[in-house]
Order: sequence, then C-alpha cells, then structure tokens
Amino acid sequence: MKKERTGDNCRPFKLAHQILSLTGISFERRSVIGFVELTIVPLTDNLRYIRLNAKQCRIYRVCLNDQYEANFQYFDPFLDICQSDPNTRSLEVFSQYHLSAAQKIDPDHNSGELHIQVPDDAAHLVGEGRGLRIGIEFSLESPQGGMHFVVPEGEGTLTEKSAHMFTYGHSARLWFPCVDSFAEPCTWKLEFTVDEALTAVSCGEMLDVVYTPDHRRKTFHYVVNTPACAPNIAVAIGPFETYVDPHMNEVTHYCLPNLMQILKNTVRYLHEAFEFYEETLSTRYPYPCYKQVFVDETEDDSTAYTTMSILSTHLLHSIAIIDQTYISRKAMAQAVAEQFFGCFITMQNWSDLWLAKGIPEYLCGLYSKKCFGNNEYRYLVHQELQEVVAYEEQYGGMVLDPWQPPASGARVESKDVYYFPVRNVHTMSPRYVEVMRKKSHLVLRMLEQRIGQELLLQVFNKQLSLATNAANTKIGSGFWGQLLLSTNLFVKAIFTVTGKDMAVFVDQWVRTGGHAKFQLTSVFNRKRNTIELEIRQDSVHERGIRKYVGPLLVQLQELDGTFKHTLQIENTVVKADITCHSKSRRNKKKKIPLCTGEEVDMDLSAMDDSPVLWIRLDPEMSLLRSTVISQPDYQWQYQLRHERDVTAQSEAIDALHNYPEPATRKALTDTIENEQTYYKIRCRAAHCLTKVANAMISSWAGPPAMLTIFRKMFGSFAAPHIIKQNNFDNLQHYFLQKTIPVAMAGLRNIHGICPPEVVRFLLDLFKYNDNSKNHFSDNYYKAALVDALAATITPVISVLQPGAPITADSLSADTKLVLEEITRVLNLEKVLPCYKNTVTVSCLRAIRRLQQCGHLPSIPAVFRAYAQYGQYIDVRLAAFECLVDFVRVDGKPEDLSSLLTAVENDPDPGVRHGLARLLVSMPPFERAQRHRLDTEAVVHRLWNQINSQLSNDARLRCDLVDLYYTLYGLKRPICVPLPEIQAMMKQMHNKERERLERERERMERDREKRDRERELEAKPVIKQEIDEVSVKYEMDVAPMEPLPKPEVPRDDNLPIPIASIKEEDNVDVTTVPDLPVRVYSSDYSKREFVSDNAVPLPGMSGSLGPVGFEPGMFRHDKDDLGAPKAKKKKKDKKKHKHKHKHKHSNKDKSKEHKDKDKSLPPRPPSSTEHLKIKEETRETLSSFSSSQSPSEDIASMPSNMSF
Amino acid sequence: MTENTEKPESSCDARRRILNIAVSTVLLETGFESSDRIALETLTEVIQCFFTEVGNSAKSYCELTGRTEPVLGDVMMALINMGISVQGIEQYAARPKRHVIQPPQQASVPRTPAMLSAGSKAKPPPHIPFHLPPLPDPHAYIRTPTHKQPVTEYEAIREKAASQKKDIERALTKFLAKTSETHNLFNTDDNQVYPLIACKPTFPPYLSCLLPTDQVFDFDELEYHFQVANRTEDLPADKKDQSDNEGDNGGDNENSSQPEIIDIPMSSPERLKSGG
Repeated sequence: MKKERTGDNCRPFKLAHQILSLTGISFERRSVIGFVELTIVPLTDNLRYIRLNAKQCRIYRVCLNDQYEANFQYFDPFLDICQSDPNTRSLEVFSQYHLSAAQKIDPDHNSGELHIQVPDDAAHLVGEGRGLRIGIEFSLESPQGGMHFVVPEGEGTLTEKSAHMFTYGHSARLWFPCVDSFAEPCTWKLEFTVDEALTAVSCGEMLDVVYTPDHRRKTFHYVVNTPACAPNIAVAIGPFETYVDPHMNEVTHYCLPNLMQILKNTVRYLHEAFEFYEETLSTRYPYPCYKQVFVDETEDDSTAYTTMSILSTHLLHSIAIIDQTYISRKAMAQAVAEQFFGCFITMQNWSDLWLAKGIPEYLCGLYSKKCFGNNEYRYLVHQELQEVVAYEEQYGGMVLDPWQPPASGARVESKDVYYFPVRNVHTMSPRYVEVMRKKSHLVLRMLEQRIGQELLLQVFNKQLSLATNAANTKIGSGFWGQLLLSTNLFVKAIFTVTGKDMAVFVDQWVRTGGHAKFQLTSVFNRKRNTIELEIRQDSVHERGIRKYVGPLLVQLQELDGTFKHTLQIENTVVKADITCHSKSRRNKKKKIPLCTGEEVDMDLSAMDDSPVLWIRLDPEMSLLRSTVISQPDYQWQYQLRHERDVTAQSEAIDALHNYPEPATRKALTDTIENEQTYYKIRCRAAHCLTKVANAMISSWAGPPAMLTIFRKMFGSFAAPHIIKQNNFDNLQHYFLQKTIPVAMAGLRNIHGICPPEVVRFLLDLFKYNDNSKNHFSDNYYKAALVDALAATITPVISVLQPGAPITADSLSADTKLVLEEITRVLNLEKVLPCYKNTVTVSCLRAIRRLQQCGHLPSIPAVFRAYAQYGQYIDVRLAAFECLVDFVRVDGKPEDLSSLLTAVENDPDPGVRHGLARLLVSMPPFERAQRHRLDTEAVVHRLWNQINSQLSNDARLRCDLVDLYYTLYGLKRPICVPLPEIQAMMKQMHNKERERLERERERMERDREKRDRERELEAKPVIKQEIDEVSVKYEMDVAPMEPLPKPEVPRDDNLPIPIASIKEEDNVDVTTVPDLPVRVYSSDYSKREFVSDNAVPLPGMSGSLGPVGFEPGMFRHDKDDLGAPKAKKKKKDKKKHKHKHKHKHSNKDKSKEHKDKDKSLPPRPPSSTEHLKIKEETRETLSSFSSSQSPSEDIASMPSNMSF
Repeated sequence: MTENTEKPESSCDARRRILNIAVSTVLLETGFESSDRIALETLTEVIQCFFTEVGNSAKSYCELTGRTEPVLGDVMMALINMGISVQGIEQYAARPKRHVIQPPQQASVPRTPAMLSAGSKAKPPPHIPFHLPPLPDPHAYIRTPTHKQPVTEYEAIREKAASQKKDIERALTKFLAKTSETHNLFNTDDNQVYPLIACKPTFPPYLSCLLPTDQVFDFDELEYHFQVANRTEDLPADKKDQSDNEGDNGGDNENSSQPEIIDIPMSSPERLKSGG
C-alpha cells in the first residue's frame, strides 16, 4: 500500500491566508462582484499549475503577486456529466460518471474547476515555503446555488421589503474561488461593501465598518484568525436587527426587521448550550465570538459556519408557542455543537464525514438529554435506530467510512450497494446524508458505551486542546493539520487516552455496513426451572443485514428481579439455557423489584407457571440491530405496564398491535392514563389503542375507546361533555389533548366508518374550544383537531349516479358538518392567521382527504393557489404535498410537468428541495407500470436536469437522482427504447407499411362485416364498475391463443413497437390503427391476431390459461383516436347506435386503464378485492366514480364498497 | 287625553263607547237607520257634556248639604236647576219596545306588573299574628339587588360563549367570503355554500405567520407567568397539589384554578372573539 493520501497532503501547496472581498452586491440584479486573494505556500519549487475550485463565477483576471497575469482554464464536468455517453439514460452509468465528475474537481484529489497556469516569467515567484499570492477578480450573476437572494415582490424599497441575501450549503466554490476542501484551513480577511442600510454578518471578528467616500455604502471588515476552511465561510447581508445576548456578550443574534421580540424569546436559552458544551468538553469555546443570523428561505433549519450559524427565520417563536420551542432549541444547540466539531475541527477526507457529523450530533444528544430529559433522549435514540435499520433494509448497509476496508473481517461489501456514489458528498443522496448523521450518532453512542462517557469526552477534549494549540500557531509551524480529524486519528486518540484499541469496533461498525437482526424465541423448562432461549440471525443475507458475532445482552425480568445475561453470539443460531432465579410459584403478596430498584405490585393472574415476566434483547441499544422478540401477549402487557425504559415500552406497544384483546386494551388504557409514563409513550399507546379497538370492533362494548379517558382528563367538572377552557400549563396533558382526538378519529365501527359519536365529539371540541384564559397559543391544538376531522373521513358511499358531478347538495350530512368546520377555520385564518398557519396546513390536507375519499371532486385549483410563491413555506409545502398526491392519482402530464417546473425554478431553495423529496416519497407513478404519466418526455427532462442543468445545486441534483431511481430504477427506463431498436423498428415500419396498406383494405372489409355481426349479437358485455377489472376479466377469459415472441429483450418491453417487430411471414399480423378494441365476445376475429409461438407477457405470468398478445394492445391512446370516431359515424346509421356508443366509451376507457395495469400480477376479478387495493393506493374514489359512464353500474356500486 | 297614561284613556274610551251605543240605540228607536259618523260623534259629545254638567251640578248640591256622595235628590235638583223637566222620565224608562243595552263586559283588570320580586318571601315569624299581611319581598326591607343575577350554570355559559363566538366567526367569514375572491371546491359555478376565501400572496410571507394575530397575548404577563411557572417547578409537591385541585373544581370557577398568577384582565374582547 502506498502512503496514505489524505485531503490535506494531496495538494502541492498549503493555503496560508485568504482575502475575500465582495463589493458590487446588487439585489436588483442578484449579482456580486468580488475579489479574492489566496496566499499559498508551495510545497515544491516547480509548481506550474494551481488548481482551485470555482463554479458559476465569471472570472476576469488572475494575478500572481499583483504583478503577473496568469492564464487560466475553466472546466466543470457537472455541466454535462455523461458527456461521453450522451444517450444513456441508465442510472448505473450515470452513477459512475457522476462520481468521476465529482472527483475530477475534488480539491482532495488536487483538482478543481479552475486551472491556473503559472506563467514562465513568474516562475521565480514559486519557491518552496515562499508565499505566493493569487488574486482573482470574479463576478457572479443570479447564482443557482450556494448563494440566495431573497427579494420579495411588491412596493417599497429593498430595506422596507426586508430584502436580504445569504450563502447556504457547504460549497464555497459556488460563490468565490477557493480551495473548497474541509482539509485546507487558513486564516481569513473578509470584506463586504454593502448599502448603508444593510448589515453584513460573516465569520470571524468584526474589525471595522468603514463608509465609502460617497457615504452611501459601507464596508464591513471581518477577520478570522483561527484557521478555517473555505466551506465553513459564509455571509449574510440584509437589514438585520441586532441583539446582543444578555448572558454572553460574545454572542450576537441577528434577525429580520420586526422580529426582535420573538428573537429575544427564541434565543433565551442559548447560553445554556454554550455552558453545557464548555463544561462537558472542559474546553473553552474555540472562537472569540458567535453569531446567529435568522434569514428567510433557507434550505435547512440551521447550518453552522465558523463563528456563525445561518438559521431559518421560521425557528423564531414567541413565548406562547409550545411545539416549536423543542425544535428551535435543538437546532440552535446543534449549531453550537458544530462550532466545536465540524467548524473548528474539521474532517480530513470525505470519509471522515461521519465524525464531523456524528460528534456534534452526539454532543447535542447529551445536551438534549440534559435539557429535555433522559426519556426524550432514549426515545430519540430508539427512533434513530429504527430509522437507520429501516433505511438499511431498504437501500443496503451503510458504510460510514467506505474508503478503507476493514482490516480483519474479510466481509467486504460489494462496492455499488447504492444507486449513487457514496464517496463524495456532492453525489450522495440527501436522505443518505440525513440517515448517515443518525447512524454516526448511534455509533458514537455505542463507542461511549464501550469506553465510557468520561473517557470519550476526554478524547474530544484532547482533540480540542491539540487543535486550540495548533490554531494559535502560524502556518509555518505546520501544526494546522491538527485541526483535522480522521477515523484513523480518532482511533489513535482513543488509544492514547484510554489505552483501549478500538480498531475492531471501528472495523465492525464504521468500515462495515449493515446491522444485525435477531429473532428471539424462548421456552420455559419447568423441570429444570430454566428458560431456553434461541437467538437466530436468519436474515443475514437480506439487504442491509449482516451477521453479528460477539456479546449480546439479554435482560430477563423475573418475579425476583431483573437479571442480565451476556450471551456470546457466535453463530446464526445460538441456544442458551438460563436458569431462572425465581421459583415459579406465585408469591402473590410479594412486591416485584424492577431494574430501577423500585418494587411494585403486579397482578400476576395472567401468567402461566414461568417466573419470567418479560425478556429484552440488548436493552441499552449498544448494537446496531433490530430485534424480533416472540413472547406471549401477557408478557408484552407486563412489559408495557411495568418496564420503566421507554424503549421497552415503545417496543411493547409495537408488539401489542398484534394482540387485539381486552387485556391489551386495558394495558393501553392504563398506560394512557398513567401520569408517570412518558408522554410520547402515552400518545403512542393512544394510537395503538385505535388499531386494537378497530380490530376488536365486533366485541367492543361501551363508549368509543378513549372517550372516557378524554372526558376524565379534559372534560369540565360540571359538564364532562364540555371540554375545559384550555390550560396548557401541564405540557404532558397538552400533548395528550392534541393526540387523543386524532387517535379517536381513526376509530371505525363495523360498517367501516367513523362512529357518529366520535364525529359529534370532535365537532364539540371545535365548538367549545376556548383559549381565552390560556398562557399558550392553541394553534397546534386547533390544527390537530382539523387533522382529527380529516381522519374521520372514510370513502364515500354515494347514492348518486356515478358519473354525476359532486355538488354541495349531494354531500352526506356528516360530510357537510365536517366541511363547514373546515371552511370556517380556513377562512378565519385569512383574517386571524395563527402561528405558522398550522391550521391552514391541516385544512389543506383535510380537503385533499375529502377529495381522496370522493366527497369532493378532485380539483387541484385550491392547492395550486396555496402553492404559489408568497404563501408561507409550510403552507406551500402542504399544498405541494396535496398536488403531488393529486398527480399520482388523477394527474395529467401537464400537472406533473408543472410540478417539475416548480422543482426546477421555484425561487425558494427550500421549496425546491422539499418538493423533490415529496416526489420521491410519493412518486407520481410506479416503476415500469406503463402509467399514463410515464412518458419519454419526463425521462428526458429529469435526465437533463441531473446531467447538466443542476450543475450548481448538488443537493437538488441528488434529490432528482433519487427521484429518477424511484421512477425508473437503475436501468434504462422502459418507456425510452434504445435508439438502435428504435431505428430498427422504423425500418420495419417502412417495409411493413406497404404490406399493411394492402391488408388494411381487407381488414376494413372484415371489420365492417364483423361490426355488423357483433351488433346483431349485441350481447350485454360484462361490466364491472371499475374498468381495469373488466379488462383483466376479459383478458383472462378470452380464449386467446399464443402469439409470436417479440424479438426484444424482456426487460425492454416497449410500448408501441412490439407489435410491429413480428416476423415478416406472419401474414395475419396487423398494426392497422383503427382496429376495433378488444371485447373478445366472439372468437370470430381471433385467428387473425394470433400465431403459434407462445410467450406470456412479462407481467402476466401465472395467469390462468395462455394470455395472448394483441396487436395494438400497447398503443397509446393517440393512435386510436381516429378510429372510433370514424366508426361511430358509420354506426350512426344503425339502429342500436346508443348501445354501441356505450360500449365504446367503456372500451376506450378500459384501454387507457389497460396501459397502466398491464404488468400487474393478475388478480381474481372480484371487485371487492380490487377495491381494497384502491384504498391502499389511496386513489381518489371520485376519480373513478366520475370516469365511469355505464349507468348499469350504479346498482353494483354501493354493495361493492362493502363498508 | 294625555298620552302618558294608558289606563284612563282606555276606560274613557270604554265609557264613551257605551255613550255611543246609547245614542245609537236612541237613534234607532227614533227611527233612524243610519247616521253619519260625525253626526253620531256630535250627539255623543252633546250627551257627554250634558251628563258632565248634571254630574257636576249634582255633586255641588250634595256638597252643599254636607254630604260626600250625591243621592238621587241631588240629581233631581240638578236637572231641575238646568231647566229640564223630570216628568215622564219614569214612563220613558219603562217604555215598551225599548232597546236594552247589554251591560258592558267587565274589562279584565290589567294586571299590575308584579313588583320586582327578588328572593323568596320570608314566612312571618311566629310572634306575628297570622291575620296580618304577609311580609313583603326581602329586597324591600333587607336589600335591593341593583342588577340581575347572572346565569350561573356552567354548561349554559359555555354553551352561550361558544355559540356567540361561532356566530361571530361565521358572520365574519361569510362577510369576507362574499366580499372577496373565493376558491371553489366544486365544479359548479355556484359557490355559495362552502366558499373559501382566496389566498393572496404576501411579502414577506413569514411576518404574519411568525407574529400571529389570532390571539392577543400580553407578553409581559406571559413572561411573568413563565418565570413563576419555572419557579414552581422547583416545588413539585405544591405544583402537584395545584393541578389536582384544578382537576377537581374543574371549569366551574376558572379563575381559582390559576392561583399562581394574579389574573390581570387581558384585552378580553378580542381574545374571546379569536380564542377558538
């Protein structure tokens, strides 16, 4: 192995100092004119090329030592990533090019977009250890990424409108030429010349503010004496109001005009975070100052830079707001933690990203443990663990440090687990980064368990003190490398501090991906008084799961107390007999000691003779694992009631979903009522009780679940059915008061609808809601009530004619009440908007829910209006969510296209990103289902974006890569045929055309005859109310014979052309466009379409009988537009024209649906079955109720709904 | 006739009506079949004046003789003094075929509105003989409440407050929906039933959302409460007691449920309106 090449030693120079000066900052033109000067120290004498990073800048001049103008070249591979293979549309190929593009300009590979050639006459300037100054003049216009101008529309001066700008992300190259690496720290001098009314906030200490000679502008001078790397440099410019923290005057907060009051409230606890970190790490905060700038339209809630954080203005809240407080405090605490690790100490390579992200996450976790309590912390860790496990099982094991293979264990993951390269942060999926953050946190927490928290903190402390010392030296001393941290250095530091070698741990959890998965079963052996455990790792070959070898803690709660047993896991199946400490006799009077040392009384009547109350695996979450524990229902109930650990309680709740029975109901009810239980567990228990109650609805007696609890807790004394005036002083009750109505709204009676009692209860909550005496705002509560109303809505049971338009009069009584309430609160929000318009957000979702269930016509107009720029961000995202769902169900290609336009062009980067994520999570169409939206144009459009258009916005590009993967997978999309095949097909078309011309005439004659015959027959066609089903049905029934095997690979079963690639000699083949559509009620025409070679259609395998291939089957709607019209004309003359039209409209539709449905596995043609699927996909009922025309269907409709 | 009293007017009317009837009867007896209204009125007026004069005169005679109530003789004297012959008056009164006027209906005595009854009447103590009148309302000798006792039933109050708030909100939103652009949830043109007020983009959009106006809080007071609340956190026992009490006395008396703050009356009208 060659010498390790790291991010800091790959360049032939070191960066000593950089000056950045932005002068012409224009909000009108969204442009910046600037100048940078990098002082580099060459490491060799013959440095001829200097490679720097710069993107989307226009570079005017490069000057060495102010004297020599240097030539430069500019090259950005992201402008056309697949340049050498322009026709590929497969993500596999893209992924490779993507990585190589990223590496071609990666400063850690000594590359960059900007190649500066040291001119010959300046060669004497270069000398080892002699500083060389490179001055670059540049400008930037309408930046697409990295820097954002917020210029609101409307009247008034820019200041009045609070126009401001800021930089975002960690890609400094997007706004100034630099060495855009975390491994190249240097000192900085920053100057920003801005309008007189504006303030520039940037990294470092502010030295001076100097007016320009004309007194209309001023220049802010900042200096960063602690070495910082370019990605950690940021600036925010705007008419900010300034607030110096009253507890720590080194800390300054900036907000946009008019927000001072809520700013003061939001930041009131920030000093505690500082104190906590300084105390925990026993290190001083490494910088002389800290600034928080709250700006609008950020991508993330908070981003940390050297000595400053840029935060979203949406974190601000007044003292009366509850829910936001948690989020804001955490976001700010996280940003402060990143000052220590991430800004001050940065990573050496991309491979060390997990440390730079994980350590602040870990520190922030400790802070939230202190701030919000141990339950909250454990619950958070548990949630993160589940999230990581779920992600890994979906996408594959995540290797935190993939650069260096694990030293020992030969298990090397195949390199391309993911559809995106994980070796560069610019190519990683944003979701991956998010999950990686969480996994890093978990791994560091595991490390804490291995070596102890104190020692781990000492390791951090050591790194920080080394770095502090290094930061005070000059570049010449060569100590600046200690500001960088890498996996190896970290392992070494642990060894130095603790004497423990953690290499194995790192190999196991950092350099290997995946998690363990244990299945535990147990049997009690009465004779020997042992419990026989079996721990299996059956699914080690599944995605994201790997075999674990090592110790595993099993915790048994017995009658006599909690006992821990450490088992050695050596194989995929481990059996262990554990002798029980307690005798199985029931000593009823005795109290049972718990793991916390408390002794409690339990009702042991449910137990059998085993003394074990419950079993837990790895209770401290010291492994990355998922567990499947099989134990009887009563053990889960005991665990929920008596185990004190929130993770155990939460697991018990998950398990109890499967045991709908009175005992479970009782356990859940008691949990909800138990004031000692953590509130999130109580809320989850409420939701679980909903499911349990629904499952045992037939035997449920008494009032709806939770109604009594709610009245007891929140009903007023004199009249329990009227809720008390709101008083949110008890926050646990507040969260329950928000949750229980939503949980109750999920209840269903035997008819599958929400019990009318519950609806009335909810409407009463609206009516009697009185917040006049409350100290807190009830906006989240009101939003929860709207959510609850939405959750009561079940698919419509319509007595209307299916095709009839839905009007206000045709609504059911309950729906009218619900809709009235929703419109009232939504309208009220226009006059009296609540905090963050939470009610509007919920109302939009509720309206969409009404549309989905067929109560309202599926009209996107409302959502479009709310999605406009100029609405509040949360409202916009909610509206986009509804639109995405609409497109999925009822959308036309134009609707999808307008969403994509928003992804590409929306002014707010947060919305672009958010909308892209929405599209990924709710894709507009399923992969390879020949959906009507799955068109070639969409492929090319997305491809174009990821390949070239989004060269300056890495995050959005990766978002769209995610979307592309969701829609098309790794291979070439099915709807885009390979060009060769396309050409071939064209040729064939030509050849065949003549022959077809001949045939067409014959066909015409045939068809006329056939039509006539069919009319005579005029049998009633089987009509189901859902067209897809009828198609399926007909296809299965049709006595079709097999047909020629298409010569195309099965993967590429192409939409149009297959029909035309049949063998030449197959005379019967016809591609005449105006064929009558498939209603195979007679054998008459069959023979023409059919040949003897059989092949089932790709998606149809396993269907009964041979399923045939019909010419024209894959045609687009466009093709058969002409034909039926022509035919109708003919038919107009005939007698039964009415009937015919009917048939036809039905057929045309079935064709549309067929395209979509073709590759679904065949389903039995029962319409109830189908309906179930409908519900799952949450299609709008109205969409199909209005799409069907035959009136015969009315009768069948309600019965099919089977509610 | 004065306007301020209604009773005399109506009784006056009644007498006059009787006179009217009497005159009409005489007219009928005389052989008239109809009369102009004005003529009838004139005759009535004449007879009224006559009776008044007779009455006054008779009263004077009676007082002259030192009595207080006129007797028949006084009337006679008055008539004679007025130069009216009283002969034949008896025969006239007993004439045959005379019309008999129905005695006027006893006008129901308009109930005197009950005195503002407040409280229940106390039973007379035993030392007061039973035949004495009952005691008057307590307010007459204990105290007189100057305002109506408010409805104290909790449920009714809540009900009323809720429906008032709802009505106000509904009226407001309806008005706004009628006077501004709306979104339509249906495909029909008619958008009367569930109109949604159209949303307008505002710039900057965050201001109204971060500084909401749905409720008016007194932030100084909240700050105070916040600090007090923080302090009570240190005393969990107290706090717990408080919350227990709170559960018990429920909403019956909301003010007492927050004893830890001095309830500064906040700008309640707006808050009531917008509380929901």
